[in-house]
Amino acid sequence: MSIVHEPGTPPPAAAPAARRRPRPPAGRPRASDRNSPWAYLLIAPAVAGMLYLLLYPLARAVVISFQDFRLRQLIVGDASFVGLRNYRELLGDARFWEVVRRTFLFMAVNVVLIMVLAMLVALMIERLGRFGRTVVLGSLVLVWAMPVIAATTVFQWLFHSRFGIVNEVLVSLGFSSYEGYAWLAHDKAAFAIIVTLIVWQSVPFAAITLYSALTTVPRELYESARIDGAGAGRLFRSVTFPLIRPLFMLVLSLEVIWTFKAFVQIWVMTKGGPGDATTILPVYAVQTALSNQRYDLSSAASMVTVLLMSGVLVFYFRQLFRQEGEHL
Amino acid sequence: MSYRPLVLLGAAALSLSLAACSSSGDSGGGEGGRTGVDVWLMRGSVSAAFQKQFETGFEKAHPDLDLKIQIQEWNGIGEKVTAALASNDAPDVIEVGNTQVAQYAQSEGLTDLSDKVAELGGDAWVKGLAEPGTYEKKQYGIPYYAANRVVVYRKDLFEKAGVDASKITTREQWIKATEKVDKGATQGIYLPGQNWYALAGFIWDEGGDLAVNRNGKWQGGLDSPQALKGMEFYERLQALGKGPKDSDEAQPPQAEVMAKGDTAQIIAVPGAADIVTENNPELKDKLGFFPIPGKSADKPGAVFTGGSDLVVPAAAAHQDEAYTMIKELTGDAWQKKLARTMSYVPNKVTLAEAVNSEPGAAAMAIGAVNGRATPNTPEWAAVEAKNPIKNYMTAVLTGGNAKSEAAKASRTITGALAGGS
Amino acid sequence: MTTAPVKTAAPAAGSRAPRAGRGRPVRWIRRSPLYLAATVTVVLCLFPVYWMVTTAFKPSQDIQSYDPRLVPGSWTLRHFQDAVSADGFGLFWRNSILVTLSAVLLALLVALGAAYAVARLRWRGRRQFMLAVFLAQMAPWESLIIPIYIISRDTDMLDRLPTLTLIYFMITLPFTVVVLRGFLASIPPELEEAAQVDGCTRLGAFRRVAFPLLAPGLMATSLFGFITAWNEFTYANFLIIKEQDSRTLPVWLSSFQSTFGTDWGATMAASTLFALPALIIFLVLQRHVTSGLAAGSVKG
Repeated sequence: MSIVHEPGTPPPAAAPAARRRPRPPAGRPRASDRNSPWAYLLIAPAVAGMLYLLLYPLARAVVISFQDFRLRQLIVGDASFVGLRNYRELLGDARFWEVVRRTFLFMAVNVVLIMVLAMLVALMIERLGRFGRTVVLGSLVLVWAMPVIAATTVFQWLFHSRFGIVNEVLVSLGFSSYEGYAWLAHDKAAFAIIVTLIVWQSVPFAAITLYSALTTVPRELYESARIDGAGAGRLFRSVTFPLIRPLFMLVLSLEVIWTFKAFVQIWVMTKGGPGDATTILPVYAVQTALSNQRYDLSSAASMVTVLLMSGVLVFYFRQLFRQEGEHL
Repeated sequence: MSYRPLVLLGAAALSLSLAACSSSGDSGGGEGGRTGVDVWLMRGSVSAAFQKQFETGFEKAHPDLDLKIQIQEWNGIGEKVTAALASNDAPDVIEVGNTQVAQYAQSEGLTDLSDKVAELGGDAWVKGLAEPGTYEKKQYGIPYYAANRVVVYRKDLFEKAGVDASKITTREQWIKATEKVDKGATQGIYLPGQNWYALAGFIWDEGGDLAVNRNGKWQGGLDSPQALKGMEFYERLQALGKGPKDSDEAQPPQAEVMAKGDTAQIIAVPGAADIVTENNPELKDKLGFFPIPGKSADKPGAVFTGGSDLVVPAAAAHQDEAYTMIKELTGDAWQKKLARTMSYVPNKVTLAEAVNSEPGAAAMAIGAVNGRATPNTPEWAAVEAKNPIKNYMTAVLTGGNAKSEAAKASRTITGALAGGS
Repeated sequence: MTTAPVKTAAPAAGSRAPRAGRGRPVRWIRRSPLYLAATVTVVLCLFPVYWMVTTAFKPSQDIQSYDPRLVPGSWTLRHFQDAVSADGFGLFWRNSILVTLSAVLLALLVALGAAYAVARLRWRGRRQFMLAVFLAQMAPWESLIIPIYIISRDTDMLDRLPTLTLIYFMITLPFTVVVLRGFLASIPPELEEAAQVDGCTRLGAFRRVAFPLLAPGLMATSLFGFITAWNEFTYANFLIIKEQDSRTLPVWLSSFQSTFGTDWGATMAASTLFALPALIIFLVLQRHVTSGLAAGSVKG
C-alpha cells in the first residue's frame, strides 16, 4: 500500500521519450505484423498478472462489500450476502461524511501547495545556472528517493515534543509556548504535519516533471514575446503556461489521486488521530477493518472511495488520451 | 550511454535469488526432526533470562519438541493476532489479554480447551483470568498470569529528598512526596499522558467509571463529575515529571525510561522493576514498591486487574504440542518461578504464597484488594481498539477544556459500545 | 520567483555560454533573490535528510539535550552498531533486497515483452491492452489487502516472500510497460531491420540494436520500481505473519521504535541504513533518472 502515494512513481505520460517529438513515420507498427500471434504471447504474462493479481482481488473486494463479513467470516469463511446493507450503514453514518469532507479538504490543501510550490521550483530551476541547477535537482532527487517510512520516522523525530528540533528552534525564536509542544496531540497541528510531510515528499516529482516540460518551450517564443514588451508575469500566463498546460494538468490529476490515497504516512504517524483529525478515507477503511473487524463495511468504504476517485480518473484519462491518443 | 550498472544489478539480483532458493525451506518444522512449537508472548511478559530458562527447561523435559518463542510488540498486536487466527498455519500458542479472549472465541478462531480444565487444576484458577477466558461456558483461554499496577520508586532518590515511602497512604501525601522528589534533574514521577489504566483507577476511587450501564444501554462515563475529578488528579500528578503528554507507557517503554536513572517513580506492574534493572544493573536494590494510594488511608487506590491468558488457535498445526507447552507454562513449577522472577500474581490462588516474600508482590497484593475490571461488555474491545480515553487525556493535559473533551470522548465510547455488532 | 528576470530563462544548456563574463557583479545582485530561493529550496529539501544522518551519528546525551547542535560536537558509530546488531537486521535487509530486485527484474522482463508487442507489432486489442495498463496503474491497492490476504491464505502463499515479490511485481508492472513502450517507440525500427538484413535474427537485432538504446528507460523504470518495492509496508506487514524471519526492512523499521523506545539515535541510524540504498542509487544515477523522466530533454 505504500504505492498509494509513491514519490518514486512518475506518471505514465511523463516518461515516453517520443511524445513531444515529431514521430518518425517508420515508428508505426508495420502492417505486415497485423495480428501477429507473437504479440499475444508477449503480453500474456502481463495480462495474466493483471487478471490474477488485480482484477480477481478487486472482484473479491466487491463481493465482500455485499456480504456480512467480520472476524468470524474471515476465519471460518461462511459469509452470507446482505445486499446493500453495508452501503446503507456507511452512507447513513455521519462520521463517514465527516471523513469524506476531510478527505477532500486534505486533498485540496495538499494539491494546491504541491502544485504551486512545484511550479515555483521548476521556474526557479530553469533560471539557475548549470551548477545551481545540478545542486537543486540533486536535492530534489534525494528527497524523492527517500523511502516513505524513513521520511515519516524522521518527521516524527523533527516534531518530537521534547527533543524535536522544530520545537527547539521555535522556542529559541521566542515562541516559548512551543516548549514541549505535542504536535501530534493537537488536531490542527497533526493535520499540518501530515500535510507538510506529504508536500515535502511530493514536490520533487512534480517540480522535476514540470521543469522538464519547461525545457521544451521553444526559446524563440520568449524572445518574440519579450520584443512585444511582455513582463515576466504575463510571459508566464500567456506563453509558458499554455504550453506546459497539458503536462501540468496531468501532474495535477496524479497528485489528486495520490493524496486521495495517502495512507502510510498517516497510519504510521497518527493512525488517524488525535480523535479523527487526520482520518481520511483510506485510513477510515483500514480502521474499520482492523479495529472494529468490519471487513464488509471497510470494503464498502473502499468502493465508495474508488467511485469518488473515478471522477478524477476520468479527467486524468482525458488528459492522458489527449497526449497519448495518437500512440494508441 | 552505458547500461553496465543495470546488468550488474541484474546479475547481483539473480545470484541473490538463487542463493535464496538454496537457503529457504528451512523454516517451519523443527531442527533435527523435532516438532517446532511456535509461541507468541507479549513484550514485557517474560524477561529475557526467564525466557531462556524456560526454553532450556522445556526442551529438556520434551526432547522431541523445539520451542520457538517470539516476542510480539504491543503496537498493532490486534491486527497481527487476527491475521494469525485467520491463517492456515497459525502459531501454536498465543498470549492474549484476558479481556480479548471472548471476541476471538466468538469468531471460532480458538480451540476449545474445556476438557483440559480439570487436568490443569482449573478450580484453583484466579477468577479474574479464568472467567474472561470463557465464552458460552467453554474454556478457551488458559490463565497465564495476573498483575495490577503499583508505584515503583527509587529508594535512594526518596531518601535523598527526605521522604519516607512507607508513610505515603493517601493521595495528598503522595503528591506532597512527589513534589519534594521532583527537584533538579530528577523527575518526581514519569507519568506519560496516556496511561489510561492509571486514570481508570483514579476515576474508580472517586466513584466514577469509564462507562456505565443504564437500563441495558452502555454509556461513556468520563464526563461525570467524579470522573472529571479523577482526571484532575491525574493532571496534577502528571505535572510532577517530564512524561510525554502525547503517548502511553509503552512508547517509549517506561521501564527503560526509568532505567536512564533520573526518574523517581513510575506506575507499573512490579515486574517492570526487573526490566529496569536489566537495562541498568546499577539500580539493583535501589527500587522499592508501594500500593497506589487511595483517597483516604484506610483504602488503597483502586487498580485495574490485568492479566493474560494463553490460547491455542484453531488453525494451529500442533494442537497437542501446544497443549503440552501450556501445561508446562501454566503448571505450578513454572508459575512459581514466573511469579517470583516477574513479580506477577500466579494463575492459581493456591500459589499465592510463592510470592509473599517479594516486596513488589506484597504491594500488589494490598492493591489487589481494590481490584477492578473494565466495563463488562464484549464491545469494550472496540473501545480499546480506538481508545478515545487516550485522546481525551492528551487533550486535557495539553490545555483542552476537560468538561467538553470528556463529553466528546464519552460520546465516542457510547457509540463504540452501541455499535460493533 | 516569477519576478526574476526572464532574460536569463535559458533552458538550452548551450545558449548560456556567451552571456557569462559580462556584467558579473550586476548580474549577481540582480539574481540574488533567485539564489536565495534556490538556497531555501535546497535547505528545506536536505534538512530532514541531514538531520536524520547527523542524529544517527550523535552520542545519546547530545540527542537528548535541550540545546541541540546543528553540527554534532562528537561523532559515534554506536547507534549503527545497535541497529545492525538488532535482531535479524541482516536477514531483513537480505529479504528486502531479494524481494525488491526479483520483483523489479520480473517486471522488467514481462514489461519488455509487452512493450515490444505494443510498440512494434500490430494486433487487435492493442488499445484495450494499453487502457487496461493505464487503469492498472491507478489500482486501489489499499483496498485489496483483505482479498489478497484471503487469496494468499487459500493458496498457501502466506508468510512467503514470493507472495510479496508477486505483488510488488504487479504494482510496478504497469508503469514499467508504459515507460518502456515510450522508449521503444522512439527507436526507429529501421535500425533493427538493417541489422536483420545484415544477418541477425529478429531477437538478435533487438538485442544488439534496440536494447542498448533502451538503457536509460530500463534504468529509470528499474529505479522507480526499486523505490516502490523497497518502501512497501502494508502488504509486507500483513502477509508475513508467523515467519518473522521473512519480514522486510520497512516492517522492521516501524517496529524498531517500539523495540528501542527512546533510542532515537538507533532509530535514525536504522532509518539511514534503510534509506541508504535508495539514496545512493538515485544519486549515482541521477542523470539517468531525470533523463528517463524528462525523456532526453534534460541535458544536465
